[in-house]
Amino acid sequence: MEARAVVCGYGAADEILKGADLAVAKGEMVAIVGPNGAGKSTLLKSIAGMLRLKSGAILFKDREIQDCSTRERAQIGIAFVPQEANIFPTMTVRENLEMGGFIAPGLVVERTQSIFARFPILAEKSKQQARTLSGGQRQILAMAMALMVDPELLLLDEPSAGLSPKAADALFDEIVAIHASGTSIAMVEQNAYEALMIADRGVVLVDGRSVRTGPARELAADREVRRLFLGA
Amino acid sequence: MELVQILVNGLMAGTLLAIPAIGFTTIFAVLRFPNFAVGGLMAIGAYTGLVANTMGGLPLLATLPIAFMVAGLIGVGSDKLMISGLRPSGPLAAAIGTIALGLLLENALRFVFGNEFRTFNIPPVRDWRFGDLRVPPHQVENATYALVIMAVLFCFLMFTRSGKMMRAVADNPALAGLKGINAVRTTDMATFLGMGLAGIGGVLIGLDVAIDPLIGTRTMLAVFAAAVVGGLGSIPGAVLGAFIIGLGEELALLAVAPTYRTAVGFLAILLILSFRPRGLLGERRY
Repeated sequence: MEARAVVCGYGAADEILKGADLAVAKGEMVAIVGPNGAGKSTLLKSIAGMLRLKSGAILFKDREIQDCSTRERAQIGIAFVPQEANIFPTMTVRENLEMGGFIAPGLVVERTQSIFARFPILAEKSKQQARTLSGGQRQILAMAMALMVDPELLLLDEPSAGLSPKAADALFDEIVAIHASGTSIAMVEQNAYEALMIADRGVVLVDGRSVRTGPARELAADREVRRLFLGA
Repeated sequence: MELVQILVNGLMAGTLLAIPAIGFTTIFAVLRFPNFAVGGLMAIGAYTGLVANTMGGLPLLATLPIAFMVAGLIGVGSDKLMISGLRPSGPLAAAIGTIALGLLLENALRFVFGNEFRTFNIPPVRDWRFGDLRVPPHQVENATYALVIMAVLFCFLMFTRSGKMMRAVADNPALAGLKGINAVRTTDMATFLGMGLAGIGGVLIGLDVAIDPLIGTRTMLAVFAAAVVGGLGSIPGAVLGAFIIGLGEELALLAVAPTYRTAVGFLAILLILSFRPRGLLGERRY
C-alpha cells in the first residue's frame, strides 16, 4: 500500500494532511508517530475511505483506490479499526464478529471459530452484549472484527488509548501475533515508544506531512525523535 | 371490577399501539429522525385493509400483509421522492418534511374516499363475559395478531442477516459502513418495515374504531409518546411505552372526560423528557 502526497481534511477549506506519504510493504508493520493534530488518524481514515482526498493518490497492490468506497476497500483486503466507537454496543460479541465478516458471509462460521480459538475471552463472552466488555476486551473485539475478513492490511488507530498498562501490553502482544501471521499493519499509537519497539519501520508525521521515515528501532533511539515525540 | 376492566382495555389498546410505535422507533433507530408521516401511512394501511375487506371480500387476516406491503411501498417511494433529499440538511428538516408528507397522504385519502367514517365488514359478535368483565372477542383477536407480529419482528431482527444489518446501522452507522453494510439499502429496508408496520397498525386500530382520513393523525400523538417514553430507537422500549400509554389513557377515564384522554400522551412526554430524557429503555442520550 502506498499513499502519495495525500491532501485531505474534514471540511471544504480544512486541510489536515498537506501532502502526506506512507508506504507499507507486504507483511510489514509501520508505526506512524508525531505530535497531536499532525494528521495521523486522518491519514488512516483517508486510506480506509472515510475521507475523500483533495489531491494525491492511494495505491493498493499497484491499483489506484482513492475513488473506491469503504466497502470496496474492505473487499480488496483493507480493514480499519477506529480508535473509538469501534464495536456495535447493543449486539452480542458473536453478532459483532458476524458483522465484522459481513462482506464474506460464507466464511463467518469458520472464521468465528478460529477467532474464538485465538481469543478465548471472546468465546467466553460470546453471548454478552459488547458494551458489557472492559476497555481492553473491546479493543480485542474490534481487532477480531477486522480479522474476520482476513485482511491483507490492518489499519489500527490508537489501539491502546484508554487502556491500563497491563491491558495495553496484552493488546500489543496480540498485535505482534497478528503481524507474525503475515498481516501488514499501519498503526497510529499515542504510546509511540511501545509502537516503535514492535514495528518494523516508523514514519514521523508533522503538520500533515511525513518528515522522516526509517527502521522503527533507529527512530526510537534517535535523540531528536525522542525529545519531540517520545517525551524523553 | 371497574379497575380490572380498565386494565384489560388498557392492555388491549397498548398492544395495538405497539405496532405503529415499533414502526416509528425502527425508522428513528436507523435513520435518526422522527418520521411523522407514520400517521399518514397508518391511514393508508387502514384504507387498504378496508378496501381489501369490503370490496375485495378478503378475510381480516389476509388484509394485514396487503396493508403492510402497500404502506411499506408507499412509505419507501414517498421517502425517496420527498424526504431523502431533505435528510442531508439535518433531522429537523426531514422531520418537518414528514409532517408535510403525512398531510399530503391524508388529503389524498380524503380526495378519494371522502370524510365519512367507514367500518370493516365484520359480523357483530357478543362480548365474552367473565362475571362483570366484558371482553370483545375481536379485540382479543387483534391483540393476538399484534403479539404474533411482534414475535415475527423479533425473530427477523435477531436471527436474519437483514435484521442484524439494520441493528448494526442503528447501533453505529459509521462502523457499519466500514464493514461494508450498504447504508441506502438498510435505510430503505427500515423505512419499508416501519411504514409497513404503521400500515398494519392502521388496520388493527381501524378494526377497533371507525376509519376516516384522520385515523392516523389522531393516534400519532399516542404513538410518538409511546416511542419517546420507551426510548426513541428502542423496540422493546416502544412496546413498553405503548402499554404505558394504553393503560394511562384508560386509567385517565377514571378522572377526566374521554375528550381529555389524549392529554396522557402529552403528560407522558413531558414527564419522561423532564426526568429521563433517553426514555425508559433508550440506549442513547439526545
